[in-house]
Amino acid sequence: MKLLKSTKFWVAAIAVLLAASAVAASALSRVSFKGAVANVYLDGELIRAIALDGVTSGYSFEVEDDDGGHNTITVERGRIRVSDADCPDLICVKQGWISNGVTPVVCLPHRLLIEIVGAAQSFDAAS
Amino acid sequence: MKTTKSAWIIVALLLLISLFGCKSNDPPPVAETEPQTAWLFAMDTVMQLTAYGDNAAEGLASAQAAILELESLVSVTGENSEIFRVNSGSVAPFAVSGITAELLETALAFCARTDGAMDVSIYPIVKAWGFTTDAYRVPSDAEIAALLPLVDYTAVDYDAAARTVRIPGGAQLDLGSIAKGYSGDLAIDAIKSVGVASALISLGGNVQTLGAKPDGSAWRVAVQNPEAPEDYAGVVEVVNKAVITSGGYERYFVGDDGEVYWHIMNPATGKPAKSGLISVTIIGESGALCDAMSTPLFVMGLDAAAGHWREYGDFEAVFITENHELYITEGLEGSFSPLGNYADTNVTVIRR
Repeated sequence: MKLLKSTKFWVAAIAVLLAASAVAASALSRVSFKGAVANVYLDGELIRAIALDGVTSGYSFEVEDDDGGHNTITVERGRIRVSDADCPDLICVKQGWISNGVTPVVCLPHRLLIEIVGAAQSFDAAS
Repeated sequence: MKTTKSAWIIVALLLLISLFGCKSNDPPPVAETEPQTAWLFAMDTVMQLTAYGDNAAEGLASAQAAILELESLVSVTGENSEIFRVNSGSVAPFAVSGITAELLETALAFCARTDGAMDVSIYPIVKAWGFTTDAYRVPSDAEIAALLPLVDYTAVDYDAAARTVRIPGGAQLDLGSIAKGYSGDLAIDAIKSVGVASALISLGGNVQTLGAKPDGSAWRVAVQNPEAPEDYAGVVEVVNKAVITSGGYERYFVGDDGEVYWHIMNPATGKPAKSGLISVTIIGESGALCDAMSTPLFVMGLDAAAGHWREYGDFEAVFITENHELYITEGLEGSFSPLGNYADTNVTVIRR
């Protein structure tokens, strides 16, 4: 009788621990997918991935395409933009900051593209 | 005491096993719906293609190939394209491929259906305004008057049986008003043909969807605010449909006279279309139709566009006027909601 009770106790304890570990494991695996990441592509090639939520102080960096075209990209916590460029139309600079995946920043002349993945957003696309 | 100790060891081992189990055999539940995304630069714009589920990557690869093939055939500037060769007039009549023929036939049918509010021969006018080179200028009335006789889709001599095209000297064909939407249809077909049930493609603002989202809900497609394009005027929920917008804000310049001149030309006047509309969004099953119709309905203005919708009924539409008014056709009731600084705007429903 006493043995039975003890077995029951351990079965229950193991079950609780298994459940707890499953919850912890799934929470952990989800954590690694969470948060907005800005992917910077040049001519279709991923050249930089920036975890935007992990940015503590803003910074800028420059990218150069194959033909010597330049774009300056500025990053702050949760957002990213092209802050300067030597393309003719400057559409990329005029677009300003983006913080979600609805509309990417594109510099067509330099074939530069910045998209944000993993951010909370209320739309799937924009027309 | 001893029992307790060994029990703890068992618990610890099970815990360890369960953790490993999670890592190795238990794919994260999102794996099935984890999207595959492809980006490409084509047709003078950036395109994003996203597909969900099995064979998604394969579907995206053939979709990209279909888009690039169409571009190589119908690009107005690509020197090896069939349209370029038709325009050069060096071989006339020029025999085109099946894909170009189908697109041209579809385009000509829309030109006729809109009584020339869409015209595949508008290119010389667009060129005169500098929209093809970004060297914007306001052509003189005399210059426009000299070019206008070239704008006449009925003068395009297309022989459907022989698949040959001939155009009058000086005229130029441009299928740009429909090619993106048609390429979206080809892309969606390619993705669908490998068994993918859920996909979203955005071809420079032309949004086309296959099925619903992986969780079964509708796609939420925002309509850009024509007065502040970084903001949204509304959102429409769609399943298996294209959502395509023409707006004056997409491309324009301000002349020396302070006037705004946009890229949407009225084929009748050779000047930017000022109809009172500043944005027209077409929602329907065919990307080619939505792409083709967005421009002529913009040109026609609200009343004629509503009449066209009543007559054909093969699409739905959102109209935004220069007076900050929002109109939707009745099929969008319940699936369209205004947003941003249009949130408090009264939405007028156009009925049959």
